[in-house]
Amino acid sequence: MSRHLSVIVAAVLGGASAGCANIALNSSALSSGSAFAGRVMENGAKAVHDASKCNAFKVEPAVKEEYALGGAVAVHWVQRGGGLRLKGSGEPEVNVYLNTVGKNLAAQSERPTLEWTFGVLADSKNFTALSSPGGYVFVTHRLLAGVQNEAELAGVLSHEIAHIVLKHAIHQYTSSKVSLCKALAVGNAVGGALLPPAVVSTVVSGGDHGTLDLDGNTSLLGKLAEKTIDLLDKGNSKDEELEADRMAAQLMMSAGYDPRAFVSLLKRTDEGGGVFANHPKRDDRVENIEDYLKQVRATEGKQEFAGLTTQGLKSPPLPHEVTAQQGGVARDTK
Amino acid sequence: MRMRWKAGVVLLALGAPALALAVSPGGSLYVKAKNTRVMKSPSPTADAVVVLQPGQQVVWNGAEPSNKQWHKVTAPGGKQGFVFQTNLSTTPPRMELVAKDGNARQVDPAAFVASGAAVKALSPGAEQYSKEKGGDYAQSAEQLKQLEKLARDIKPAAIARHVTDAELFPVVGGSEVAGASGSSAAKKKGGAR
Repeated sequence: MSRHLSVIVAAVLGGASAGCANIALNSSALSSGSAFAGRVMENGAKAVHDASKCNAFKVEPAVKEEYALGGAVAVHWVQRGGGLRLKGSGEPEVNVYLNTVGKNLAAQSERPTLEWTFGVLADSKNFTALSSPGGYVFVTHRLLAGVQNEAELAGVLSHEIAHIVLKHAIHQYTSSKVSLCKALAVGNAVGGALLPPAVVSTVVSGGDHGTLDLDGNTSLLGKLAEKTIDLLDKGNSKDEELEADRMAAQLMMSAGYDPRAFVSLLKRTDEGGGVFANHPKRDDRVENIEDYLKQVRATEGKQEFAGLTTQGLKSPPLPHEVTAQQGGVARDTK
Repeated sequence: MRMRWKAGVVLLALGAPALALAVSPGGSLYVKAKNTRVMKSPSPTADAVVVLQPGQQVVWNGAEPSNKQWHKVTAPGGKQGFVFQTNLSTTPPRMELVAKDGNARQVDPAAFVASGAAVKALSPGAEQYSKEKGGDYAQSAEQLKQLEKLARDIKPAAIARHVTDAELFPVVGGSEVAGASGSSAAKKKGGAR
């Protein structure tokens, strides 16, 4: 398996989501065409009718659909990341540690009963973390080598957990569904390429109340997963990044970690790690988190219930299992 | 456990993390984390009088004056005790969406677990898609399956041990069962670290 990321898959600590709702159809597929797509639209009135049905997809998918999409996207992240560090010396122990830390944070999130999975990508060049719908979170080996304590790691994991809780990638996915549906409804040959006629018919009908059986049709799953990844590759919107940062600080404090460690890590990155024009600047991210912490402090000691505290927060040292794996990889965060 | 369904689909309207809403003594709070323990006294090593799950509601009776990170609550069924501050929230966990009878329906976290929908393994569709792409993709899918198994095997008891060792907040309880010390698992050293 390739040990090199062919594409920088996401901004540092940036997760996997973006706010853009436009779908850029794959130009390489333009010539492939679809005989069926032409049959979908018999006249202009039909096209208008079918396009309106596409609004049925503007809903959150059920978890089963989210798992299917998330699994397919996660496979792409693992493939791009050069595989998972699973079985080398000391690697199983690191995975146990990472999942223990991650599952503790996720258990306190607003989606505590998802089955969360945390892994280390082999990539030793990019200081990156990624997430995928359904509860998949990955950090690169380079990132793991660059964190200085458990609270910094918790900050990264919490940021990715937040993207999943807030369903940022799901927003991209639903945009992809609507876009595909509209393309098929107007007889766009690209949208229907390689899809069986029955599947095209289901899509232009708005699915089953907006739901699609991705497990039952891998060509549809592949098409939508790859469309979603195209959008995710553009990076998250500024607002989504800042939103995920605030929720990360919230999760850290809930678990007892000092969120200032996450700020410290961000300050060590190059412009917050963002490589996309629509990403917030490092200083904006830091200011956003610090503003949030000020608001939390202002609620402490009041008569009303305060769900968080800034007292007794920790930045525990990394265990030997992790520090032993940090050798041989550049520890800087740039 | 009886399924609790809320019919209808949910439009995409997810909110940003917000500060807690104001709740005064006598008001209701929601349980956030798995195996949230209601303790006999305000200490992580006290016995648990009852163990609650995400989404359950308790009556908040105020902070313990001697240790304001512990809060007096009345659990469903009337049992009283103390819960660690960050186990509680003024807002409920997000409802999960489960497909049933052709509709995506909202269920609370407990019903989500009871439905079996919470059990995740690499989906059949994702696995088949990876096989069809072949090469690194198929291998990546196999690795993901191994990682998922490793993750599934990490239980709340191991998380509780780690939290104790790292001196973090005792939010996730090691056991779903009340009675014996709620942190008996946490007292054992050498967990995940």
